[in-house]
Amino acid sequence: MSNAVIASGSLVLMLLLIWGGMHVAVVLGLVSFIGVWLIRDDVSVAANLLAAAANDAINSHIFGVVPLFVLTGFLVAKADVGKDSFEVANQLFRRLRGGLGIATVAANAVFAAITGISIASAAVFTRVAVPQMLRFGYRGGFATGVVAGSSVLGMLIPPSLLMILYGFLANQSVGDMFTAGIVPGLMLATAFGVGIVLMAYLRPKMVFADGTPVELPTEEMMGVGTMGLKLLPSIVMIVAVLGGLYAGFFTATEAGAVGAGLALVIALLKRKLDGPAFWSVLTETGHVTVAVSFLIICASIYTRMLAMSGMPQFLVETMAHAGLGRTAFLLLYVAIVIALGTIIDSSSIMLIVLPLMLPIAEQFGMNLVWFGVVTVIAVEIGLLTPPFGLSVFVIKSTLSEPGISLGDIFRGTAPFTLIMLVVLCLLMVFPRISLVLLP
Amino acid sequence: MSIKRPVAADSYGTPLPWQFQRLGKWLNALGTLWIIALMVLINTDVLGRNLLNAPVRGVTELVALSIVGIVFLQLADTLHSGRFTRADVLLARLKETRPVFAARLQALYHFVGASLMGVILWAAWQPLVEAIRIRQYVGAIGDFTAPVWPVRLIMLIGLCTTLVTFLLLAWTDLRRARALQARGSETR
Repeated sequence: MSNAVIASGSLVLMLLLIWGGMHVAVVLGLVSFIGVWLIRDDVSVAANLLAAAANDAINSHIFGVVPLFVLTGFLVAKADVGKDSFEVANQLFRRLRGGLGIATVAANAVFAAITGISIASAAVFTRVAVPQMLRFGYRGGFATGVVAGSSVLGMLIPPSLLMILYGFLANQSVGDMFTAGIVPGLMLATAFGVGIVLMAYLRPKMVFADGTPVELPTEEMMGVGTMGLKLLPSIVMIVAVLGGLYAGFFTATEAGAVGAGLALVIALLKRKLDGPAFWSVLTETGHVTVAVSFLIICASIYTRMLAMSGMPQFLVETMAHAGLGRTAFLLLYVAIVIALGTIIDSSSIMLIVLPLMLPIAEQFGMNLVWFGVVTVIAVEIGLLTPPFGLSVFVIKSTLSEPGISLGDIFRGTAPFTLIMLVVLCLLMVFPRISLVLLP
Repeated sequence: MSIKRPVAADSYGTPLPWQFQRLGKWLNALGTLWIIALMVLINTDVLGRNLLNAPVRGVTELVALSIVGIVFLQLADTLHSGRFTRADVLLARLKETRPVFAARLQALYHFVGASLMGVILWAAWQPLVEAIRIRQYVGAIGDFTAPVWPVRLIMLIGLCTTLVTFLLLAWTDLRRARALQARGSETR
């Protein structure tokens, strides 16, 4: 058996087992172990490689960011920072038709600049924005669709857990990745807003339950002072965390720690955190961290197995032989990522696909920072697509409205998935959009 | 018609034999405290360095070691809480159409997970002994040094706990499969 055959065989086996429901990390670890065993014909080499991966793969300062940014995300969610920014955005956009939808997107964009995980955004805005929209005659599917769609901003606008993961896999600076996400993130948020207004005017049936918007009552307006006070925590967090990072006061890991510290202080000042709540936030943080880290450990042995087998070089040669150009490769790559997104979660996709694809992207002389932005958006489309759309599942489990089914939510997200695809195409055609803020 | 006892669709979150999940919970709590300590440590360093010009020594090394420690301390509880990443597409369907088979399949998956832990344990033993023997450390002598073996030991403890958790989950799965089967033949 040639090494390339072993590698492709293990890839097929891997996808089968993952589809069958075995834990992704276990599949990666086990199949790679067998792969190395076959390639080297020595079981102890393979076992030592596994043990080495467990020791070294996450033994680095940079992985401190994972628990810290996750903790920040859960803490600000508890501190009602998302709710406050939604209230402010709500008042700013109330005159527009579909204004509540736009307010959700805008508040999500602000929230995304503080947290690095989409699930936190999805959970917060399901509780905050969905009841409001339902109260004012929006369709359940649309209301949840907006929340699902805009939750992807959490991973695009820095800080972002996926960008960190990509930076690690592709050897790119996390700071550069964060910078590259800013313009595409704002662009996507704007596109969502425009899409909502267009739907509200052209297809009101898609947005409102009765086909027409409900007149908003002239509620008491917040003064500028109150609005400022409500936004203050967000502004402090963004300035301190992202400002400090870009000004070079601290590294990404330290930015995470500072963010978590600030979020803790804000939650305590707002009296939103008691002992049991803090403990459950910490436990949740631990579980998310472990799930991601254990995946990274097992994916690192898979990467080593691929390198041993010579599979990446083999793919590069095959691509060149088949006369597959840059554009064709990119389209194929995005298609594979989106297809995988329908069955597995974002970090697993990146860990499985990138070790194979990065060498090819490099061969074509692609800018790896831009390639990362394209990857993250393509991966995030998977958060919204059935049958496995993580954001949609989070929304369904947070939702207290039993009348809205999983199918309703998936249908409601469809327009936003389309908007994401359009933005993704623009980013693929014009790499400048992602790279404009980089020197 | 006999009264049907509900059978859980998953073994996650259910009590394990000998209440073994409590050990995982306990290790998990340790890891949780460690996360807070990590946050405080880094913040002290950032503040000390930027405001007082007095950085804390060895933070980079400690963070790197800590993250390994935290992950392996919390591995077993994360597994028992059902938070390990996996694709639910096929399993969700099987649980509805062929629940007995789904439970047996899960038992197999958990058993495979246990074997993987076993392989890692088998190979990770030597580095621990080595780390103690040659007194391996991180950092630079004269500035800051920390021994490596405590984290290696934590890793082994975490792996052992996870291995046992995997096995007990598999056992619980098989018991569920039996219960489901008994229920199935009753209704027939």
